[in-house]
Amino acid sequence: MITTAAVCPAPPLLARELTGRAVVLPELREACAAAVARLLASEPAAVLVVGAGAATATWDADDRLDLSAWAPGLRTRGNSRLPLALGLGAMLLDEAGFTGRRILQAVGEAEPAAACLRLGAAAGQLDVTAILVMGDGSARRSPAAPGHFDERAAPFDLAAEYALRDGDMAAVAAFDAALARDLMATGRAAWQVLAGALGERRPAGEILYADAPLGVGYLVAVLDT
Amino acid sequence: MSEESAVPREPGPLRLRNSEFAPGKTLIMAIVNRTPDSFYRPGVTWDHQKALDRAHEIVAEGADILDVGGVPAKPGGDVDVAEEIRRTVPFIAAVRAAYPELVISADTWRHEVGRAACEAGADLLNDTWGGWDPRLAEVAAEFDVGLVCSHAGGLPPRTRPFRVAYPDVMADVLDRVLGLARRAVRAGVDPARIVIDPAHDFGKNTWQSLEITRRLGEMTATGWPVLMSASRKDFVGETLGTAVEDRLAGTLGVTAVGAWLGARVFRAHDVPQTRQVLDMVAAIRGDQVPARLVRGLA
Repeated sequence: MITTAAVCPAPPLLARELTGRAVVLPELREACAAAVARLLASEPAAVLVVGAGAATATWDADDRLDLSAWAPGLRTRGNSRLPLALGLGAMLLDEAGFTGRRILQAVGEAEPAAACLRLGAAAGQLDVTAILVMGDGSARRSPAAPGHFDERAAPFDLAAEYALRDGDMAAVAAFDAALARDLMATGRAAWQVLAGALGERRPAGEILYADAPLGVGYLVAVLDT
Repeated sequence: MSEESAVPREPGPLRLRNSEFAPGKTLIMAIVNRTPDSFYRPGVTWDHQKALDRAHEIVAEGADILDVGGVPAKPGGDVDVAEEIRRTVPFIAAVRAAYPELVISADTWRHEVGRAACEAGADLLNDTWGGWDPRLAEVAAEFDVGLVCSHAGGLPPRTRPFRVAYPDVMADVLDRVLGLARRAVRAGVDPARIVIDPAHDFGKNTWQSLEITRRLGEMTATGWPVLMSASRKDFVGETLGTAVEDRLAGTLGVTAVGAWLGARVFRAHDVPQTRQVLDMVAAIRGDQVPARLVRGLA
């Protein structure tokens, strides 16, 4: 049963190698590291990593991101098909020194809420206590954002922030998939898997980071039941 | 190309003063002319204090090497050894005092001047006239400083090309500069301190300078570090139809091609612009990590 969760965004720039000589958004990186450290504080034997992918699928636990898909010049090795969110989740676990068992679960980014909740409920039956949820808010938070500005974006992200802070999984379960798609909020499906995994419980949430410095809503949170 | 001169060296670090610069690291050799009559901005650093101010400026702009010359390349009034020393050596000493670790280059073909420059703190002898004075290499060996081995087509110093023709200009460049490099090594110059230079415009018409630019990869393939000295030269002006004041863009185009083909040292009047071009090309080549990237990665 899942008892502890960390929520982190999944922008490629979390991979230190991709941002050039500059350390981009150090506060975000530190918040992600802190969230994963909190997740691992209970020394879980295994971590379930959930993130959006093209389709719902389980990936090989040894898979790692191939950064050359984003930066061909780096000529890195890895699985170029591994979804970004899972690859970054694996990277965060690696950076935290986690060597235990891991399960990499992609959730199709277009999966309706009910399917996400079912996937989460099934994951909750696994012999795993810790879940790392990799997902982002809207990419339409500002005129300079990747998806330009949408006035619905900030309220959407704020609702997600409050729901995670309050442990209100019912609110997470109710996020509108069509609106999330319009807002380029790629974390919606993964967040709803978390809601499915926690079920009726109301965890204590804490927000470690909530901002959109580059126009994409980044949310870092920890939840404990 | 003669067999003897064709021997390449392994690409390795370029050693200048107390530093070693790996292949892939590009260096800017900034020009300070102690002359009243050089072709670009004549006399701008003729005054000692103005030259020192310029030295401070180019160091602040990120120049890696300061190249001090006392005799213009073009024909003109005689500048004898004593006068060349008077123009350059006190200035080299002053720059050395101000910047103990800066690499200082003396642009001279004369061994007497080279010796005085080394005694004042020079680290590199930029022999643009293609080994006209063979004793210059002996001075480089004696002081354990660097030597630029250039191609001037066999022309005497301060002469202009007159109807020069080569069956294959790049073959002639390679033959001469590699021959000079071997001669320098035999004289005792540290091979890691030797640089080769095709010397654009020197003993060349514009077609020939364009050819050596196009084929610069044949020089870099020898493994010897290549110096490119193209800044605002006539071949740029003739190619574009521009006067000397309006040759920066053309120069930077040549710089980009040279950097792409692997040249490692760039003699330049315009340091910040040259640095940007070199950084850009280094990033394209994959030799240098870009500054700060978030586009498409947020």
